[in-house]
Amino acid sequence: MGSDLRLWGQLRADKAGMAGLLVVAAYFLLAVGVWAGMLGQDWSSAGGDRWASPGAEAWFGTNLLGQDIFQRSIYSVRTAFEIGLVVSVLSTLLGAILGAVAGWYGKTWVDGSVLWLAGVLDSIPFYLFVAAVAFALQGKPWAMHVAMVATFWTGTGRLVRAEVMKIKSREFILSARAIGLPDLVILARHVLPNTGHILLIQASIVFVAAIKTEVILSFLGLGVQDGVSWGLMLAESTQEVLAGHFNNFIAASAMLFVLLMGFNQLSDALQDAFDPREAAL
Amino acid sequence: MNFALRKLAHGGLLILGVTLISFSLMVWFGPDQTYSLVGKNASAEQIAEIRKQLGYDQPFIERYVSYLTDLFTLNLGASNSSGEAVSNILKKTIPVTIQLMIPGFILGNLLGIALGLLATYRKGRWIDRLINGFSVTSMSISFLVVIIFLQVFLCTPYGLNLFPVRGWQVTGLSSYLLYVTVPTLSLVFITVGYNTRFYRAVFVEEAGKDHIRTARAFGASPASILWRHVLKNSLVPITTRFMFSIPLIVVSGSLLIESYFGIPGIGKVTFDAITNGDQPVLKAVVGLTAVAFIFIQVLTDMIYKLIDPRIA
Repeated sequence: MGSDLRLWGQLRADKAGMAGLLVVAAYFLLAVGVWAGMLGQDWSSAGGDRWASPGAEAWFGTNLLGQDIFQRSIYSVRTAFEIGLVVSVLSTLLGAILGAVAGWYGKTWVDGSVLWLAGVLDSIPFYLFVAAVAFALQGKPWAMHVAMVATFWTGTGRLVRAEVMKIKSREFILSARAIGLPDLVILARHVLPNTGHILLIQASIVFVAAIKTEVILSFLGLGVQDGVSWGLMLAESTQEVLAGHFNNFIAASAMLFVLLMGFNQLSDALQDAFDPREAAL
Repeated sequence: MNFALRKLAHGGLLILGVTLISFSLMVWFGPDQTYSLVGKNASAEQIAEIRKQLGYDQPFIERYVSYLTDLFTLNLGASNSSGEAVSNILKKTIPVTIQLMIPGFILGNLLGIALGLLATYRKGRWIDRLINGFSVTSMSISFLVVIIFLQVFLCTPYGLNLFPVRGWQVTGLSSYLLYVTVPTLSLVFITVGYNTRFYRAVFVEEAGKDHIRTARAFGASPASILWRHVLKNSLVPITTRFMFSIPLIVVSGSLLIESYFGIPGIGKVTFDAITNGDQPVLKAVVGLTAVAFIFIQVLTDMIYKLIDPRIA
């Protein structure tokens, strides 16, 4: 508890980190607004003129189908949070479980198999892997999520494995073993909670990676299938910019940039707060 | 000797894993080509005949073994969609990708090392903060946004209009520079943030070690400490990062750049092969990437021994 307070104090003192936290919170509120049906609901109606200039009717103008760019970029906040949350939570969980098991049974065949799996997944070029998964899951909207979770856990898994190997030989674990607690209980109650800082930092890094990857996948036609996302807006804009219409491009890249910048600052602040050695520099 | 054998066994297991996963995903669960090969109103026998030709009637393990055999005998076959020999396609496209990616890859790393050294030299000062801010900005911008922006800014009348919008008509040095500049700038911008971060962390860690303090106590100048001690002692992590990003940058990185700019390299060919279910091409690309990865691991180990004799 005391150390939580110390961390929060350290985070509070980090101006860039707090700004990042505010940005992420503001975006999250927008996403909640969209989920609640209050914001961005008009994203798909193609009522207006194509490529209208920004005005009272459509705040950021319209795209090539006459859809309201402002509504679309707000609705995309929800899409981004859905992808980021699902992928970061699941891949962090998977990395925590596999990493903890590998670390606990370090240097045995269990450890070897987890490391082998991680090595194999890291040796397959990522976009090839996603494209293949998307194909194997023909048309399923969550093919992209599956592919990202299947590959993004490896980094977390390796870090958790190393940490668990360190924790394993500490005294409180030795005593837990000495009083005869089963391995699973020790892992779940005493080992994993001590890797919390790694999980938090990794989740924030994966969140950013997932949103960035969605953009590329949507451009390649492998990403968001129904709905709208900044990636789809950017993919649309590749047709528009050559004809001199930049509203879609500017709106989507600005919304994307501010969120990613906020998240990166927050993630940096977390890393500094948890690693005083680096923060002191 | 023992070391080399262990490495080889490790590499063999990795190749087995990569081929098993890619086989399952791309062939077993991949697109069924029966109906694109049989004519209209095919009879049940004709369909069965085609399935037999494609090997679809065989059990999983037999198809996987024959896939491995083809790969190791370099019996790469011909593309399903164009009928061209896969080895021919590779010969045509790999040089294009190498020409396309090499300048950006090298510049991105060199710039990252230079900025990382500068930030370490001025650690905690405004220039360190400036470099850090620049890195975070570069990490927060999507690859696609960079490409679109640079294309509009450098290749269209809305900007400077200096370079061709897309394509790859390279006949000599001047046309090469014309077509390679915009993709190179995009690649450098998108990788320099991550590279700078990584290299700065390596250098800062190295600069905090005892022998650096000793060198400083002996009165060595900061520049010579950075150059002779920090950079030289960081060669192992630098080599690792540099070598291990080669196969991934060449395939994954070129996929987006080549699709966007319509450049006929290995990335575009691979992507088209995935969407068309062109299995002979996929087999070759995935197999060769895996082998290249293992080859690079072994090569990296050899380089380690050259730069650091302590590694056995």
